[in-house]
Amino acid sequence: MSDHEDDNSHAGYHDTDHQSAYVYIPSNAVANEPTRPSKRRKIGKQKSSDEQPGDPTTLEFDALLNGKETSEWIQRRHELYVRAWSHTESQIQSILDEANEDTLQDVTKFVQESSQERFDQTETIPSGFIITGPNIASQGLLFDQLSARLRAEIHGPAVILRSGDAPNLKAVLKRVIRDATNQKNNLEDDDEISSGLGGRKLLNYDLEVLHTFVRAQGSQAVIVAFQDSEAFDTSLITDLIALFSSWSDRIPFVLLFGIATSLDLFQERLPRIASKSLRGTQFDVEQTSSLVERMFKKILAGGNAPLRLSPSLVASLVERQQEHAQSVQSFTAALKYSYMCHFFADALSILTPVLGASPSLDHLQPEHYEAVRMLPSFKSHIKSLVETQDLDRVVDLLEDDTILLDELEACLSNKPVLHLLRTMSVISISLPDPVSSIDLYMATFDGTLRDSDFVDRILESTKRMAPDELVSFLQRICGVVQDGSSEMDLDGWADEDEEFLAEIISFQSQASDLANEASKTGKPIRSSYAIRSQGLRTTVIAQRVQLSYEDSTLSQQDKQYTTLVDKLNDRLKNYFDIGSPQEIFLHEVWLYDSMLPYREVFTPKPRATIERALSAPYDYLKCECCESVEGLSSTHPATAILYQMYLETCSLINVFDLWSAFFEMVSGGDEQKMEERDALVLFYSALADLKSLGMIKPSKKKADHLAKTTWKGL
Amino acid sequence: MAVLFSLPNEVMLNALCAQFPCRDQQIRSLATLLSVRAAPCRNLVLHGLAATGKSSIAKTVLEYLSKRQTNGYANGSTQHDDDELRYAVIKSAECIGGRHLFEQTISTVSKVIGRSENVGRCENLAQLAVELSKLVENWTASEQDSRQRLVLVFDGIDRQRDAPPTLLPALARLVEIVPNLTTIFIVTSPRPNFLHLPGVPHLEFPAYTKPELLQILALTEPSPVLPQGTKETKDVWTRYSSAIWDSLSKHSGRDILSFRSVCLRLWPRFIRPILDGTLNPSPFSRLMVANRSLFQNDSILVPALVSNPQSTALVPQSQSQSNLQGIAIQLPHISRLLLVASYLASYNPPRTDSTFFMKAALAKRRKKGGGTALSRKPGTAKSRKIARKLLGPQAFVLERMLAIFLAIEEDAGKRKGKAALNGSADVLMAVTTLASLRLLVRMGGPNQDVLDVGTKYKIAIGWEVIRGVARSVGVEVEDYLAD
Repeated sequence: MSDHEDDNSHAGYHDTDHQSAYVYIPSNAVANEPTRPSKRRKIGKQKSSDEQPGDPTTLEFDALLNGKETSEWIQRRHELYVRAWSHTESQIQSILDEANEDTLQDVTKFVQESSQERFDQTETIPSGFIITGPNIASQGLLFDQLSARLRAEIHGPAVILRSGDAPNLKAVLKRVIRDATNQKNNLEDDDEISSGLGGRKLLNYDLEVLHTFVRAQGSQAVIVAFQDSEAFDTSLITDLIALFSSWSDRIPFVLLFGIATSLDLFQERLPRIASKSLRGTQFDVEQTSSLVERMFKKILAGGNAPLRLSPSLVASLVERQQEHAQSVQSFTAALKYSYMCHFFADALSILTPVLGASPSLDHLQPEHYEAVRMLPSFKSHIKSLVETQDLDRVVDLLEDDTILLDELEACLSNKPVLHLLRTMSVISISLPDPVSSIDLYMATFDGTLRDSDFVDRILESTKRMAPDELVSFLQRICGVVQDGSSEMDLDGWADEDEEFLAEIISFQSQASDLANEASKTGKPIRSSYAIRSQGLRTTVIAQRVQLSYEDSTLSQQDKQYTTLVDKLNDRLKNYFDIGSPQEIFLHEVWLYDSMLPYREVFTPKPRATIERALSAPYDYLKCECCESVEGLSSTHPATAILYQMYLETCSLINVFDLWSAFFEMVSGGDEQKMEERDALVLFYSALADLKSLGMIKPSKKKADHLAKTTWKGL
Repeated sequence: MAVLFSLPNEVMLNALCAQFPCRDQQIRSLATLLSVRAAPCRNLVLHGLAATGKSSIAKTVLEYLSKRQTNGYANGSTQHDDDELRYAVIKSAECIGGRHLFEQTISTVSKVIGRSENVGRCENLAQLAVELSKLVENWTASEQDSRQRLVLVFDGIDRQRDAPPTLLPALARLVEIVPNLTTIFIVTSPRPNFLHLPGVPHLEFPAYTKPELLQILALTEPSPVLPQGTKETKDVWTRYSSAIWDSLSKHSGRDILSFRSVCLRLWPRFIRPILDGTLNPSPFSRLMVANRSLFQNDSILVPALVSNPQSTALVPQSQSQSNLQGIAIQLPHISRLLLVASYLASYNPPRTDSTFFMKAALAKRRKKGGGTALSRKPGTAKSRKIARKLLGPQAFVLERMLAIFLAIEEDAGKRKGKAALNGSADVLMAVTTLASLRLLVRMGGPNQDVLDVGTKYKIAIGWEVIRGVARSVGVEVEDYLAD
């Protein structure tokens, strides 16, 4: 044991004993350190030496391809990542800004109006209740935007209170006053306020300060916003409301409450006297689910998206949204992490088509070509070439790097993805009722679109349409093809898909001709699918009723129309028959498909991990002495042995029993592999480990017993 | 030579009584007890329920008295001009803590007296007494030959936050140290001898009776006037307010303010038939019958946070129901299940857990119709049992709730093939979120270690809500609830 530790333990305990958490420094590390702490003035130098590795020549990413990747390409990956993510992030930010725009406008208007009608009613404070939904994380963003907006448009201070920084009334008032008065003035002006009162200094939680400030500034309203109202102590809010309403004849208070649950639950908690002095208006915020959907359309299904996620990853993201978090922030974080992983860990990510980045593939390393040849999509590409007996090309691709480079450059266009997305937007526009674009995306990128429910529903619905409906339906499709979809960043693609467009237009003109004819004759036209094909016929012969089926008679127009609909259906079916993105050559470059990093980072299971480590240490240690089976073994670490014994106990544990069992196990019965004192040390340290993990605690119920506090598997 | 004793000015009193009807006696007593030349007392306690006019009458009387009284005595002696009464009102509702009250007192007094410079800090009662007597002595010394009086009004002093224990007796004894001082305490209901001083005059402001209330309310002008004219309006208003009193306000919200606000809120709906032209104001009983739903619906008495006068009474139940449904839909799936589990943990006694949540017991319970292990023969219970639901939620440890959660999660059974939830950080995060939404209440104060396994929680929502939440995740709470 080093001198350092002796110094500390002379009083019988470490100074760390009373801290709930501290950094553990192993004793050998301590021994290597100089006994004296380093002098303070040296720190400045140390810092500069620390900063040196951060200079621009070093690379943020590691070298891939077995370390043979040149720095140029590493740099390029990083650049691409920065560019791609900043593009996506700006899109996310604009969507978020848009989303809260309505609420912000409403609230601002409310505050302006309330400051005008203030003196109509006495002693009631105008208050806005902003129903944000149960996702607390998004409240922060909303209230930041809100305060920025209010400060810009309302003449008067706006203060945002969070439950965390509001332990008691005095602290809240101090904060309100400080935030309110510091917003427009700097420190010198602050002094002026107190001196303006005849030299008398006011307590810093006295609302008189605020009053003076408001009078001096001529403020329109003083906005106090409670960001997470539920988390505040109810008595604190009640006190504040009473205080504010008492002052409301002098200070024009406006309160804003962010409510995560519902107004009724909030009102139930407030005492009558507090709710009496509030005069409220309710505001609703766009719910997270619709927001995520909008972001999804733009960022994953958008035409300019640099990277797309595979359906399975999207499925797990969406599942987590629904079951746990429901927050835009976690969605964004997961997205960002996917980008990071893609560009960090995939050497071929240099080929990712990022908007605005010029692809220059001139100096690809031989390793890059090697990596391309390892791709599953390359293999399937080769396979299909072999099947078409294009063997020369196969050999060229496998052996000649320059030919592979040509092939790469040819395949790098965004075209195949665009085709998928366009089909997707056509489907979403032609579906009879709106569907979640996330489901549609998953079907599209799974390659199961042609057999999916969506296509079936479209085809089913076209069969039953009247000619007028059909015309407008086709018009919608034409509209999408010509103008594109702004939600998904798609421009019109009429030039590239002239054939389809022409066909659709010809269908449309035929249908409208039929419709015109029908309106002239006054007989409605329907396809044979829309009419029940067989009618039931009742005849009475000799006082007996006979039922017989007979085919409904179709007019000439009906028949024409039916064949038109059939043709259209065939064409649409053909159009919707798109391949899976997994079949496209080089799809790995723009389709990120790896679940493991996401799972590990975003859904940690700390408790399950600790329990597994203790009950099956072999899984982590991989040592030779243990077997891979669960259960007790004397070769396990002491804590693991004790934990497994602990699992078998009931809620009160006799320490002596535990010790004897432990000693039996460690010493191996009669063999006496270990001294009793050594075993005791192990036992104590193991017990301390369990205690620090919160698994046992001393019990008052019985002497010499420990209380068991955790159960495995919860 | 000045008159030693004179009653307060009658003109002033009449004006006051007109301003505050039904408070003649209180106004007269107050004026007598405060005016400099009548019978100024040293301490005075005004007490009465909320909204009986204590503060506003005291303030108005003082305002009248503090005016230089020249008009009334123009033909009499002129020495009264030298009488000077000044007053300072300190609202306890605006003072946080005792020290704030003292500071507030000193600064108001110095403002009133007009000597705002060089007043020191005032941190406790002793300093208050010293500073106050200094101020008053300075003030009285400047004008020697007149009678001067300072009135301190402590409004709502019984509701003072963080008051030092000796606050009231000490304030009452200020008058012994400071000359020419009157202290008025405005309280709701004084405890006997709460000033520890005998012989302090008490002035009661009783709650208004029905005729008084109606008389006062008759002065209010209802906002949409009837097309028939002001006289009809007044007539209908009087009868209408009487009817409102008998049906609604008599039983709840008896004070003038809530009575008036209820009357004003219901008035537009009450006269809607007249405005529509379907009914005439003259047979009042017909109006009553047409509007009887107004008088039967007492939800108007509950102050609504969001005021929309159209829908408050017409849609009494359904809206609140849908709002409560709202959180059931908004919360994520796992959070809802956690809420249900917390409810079960709060309302089930721990010893029944094995019956309800263990797999081995499941088949047995279903077969025998539930709760067999608990049912006893009648008469064997030692004490009368109160239904658990009525006793309110009990605290539970997190560990137990998680066990119940996993059990019902398996039963809800919608997660085929999804990742297991055991020990996941997401679940614990959901628990924390619920706690900060106060749907779960963490017991043991703010200093409780959150990471301690022994930390106890309690559910904070009731049966009606939880049933909706449980159904939304496919769990029937009754199946798991003991008795």
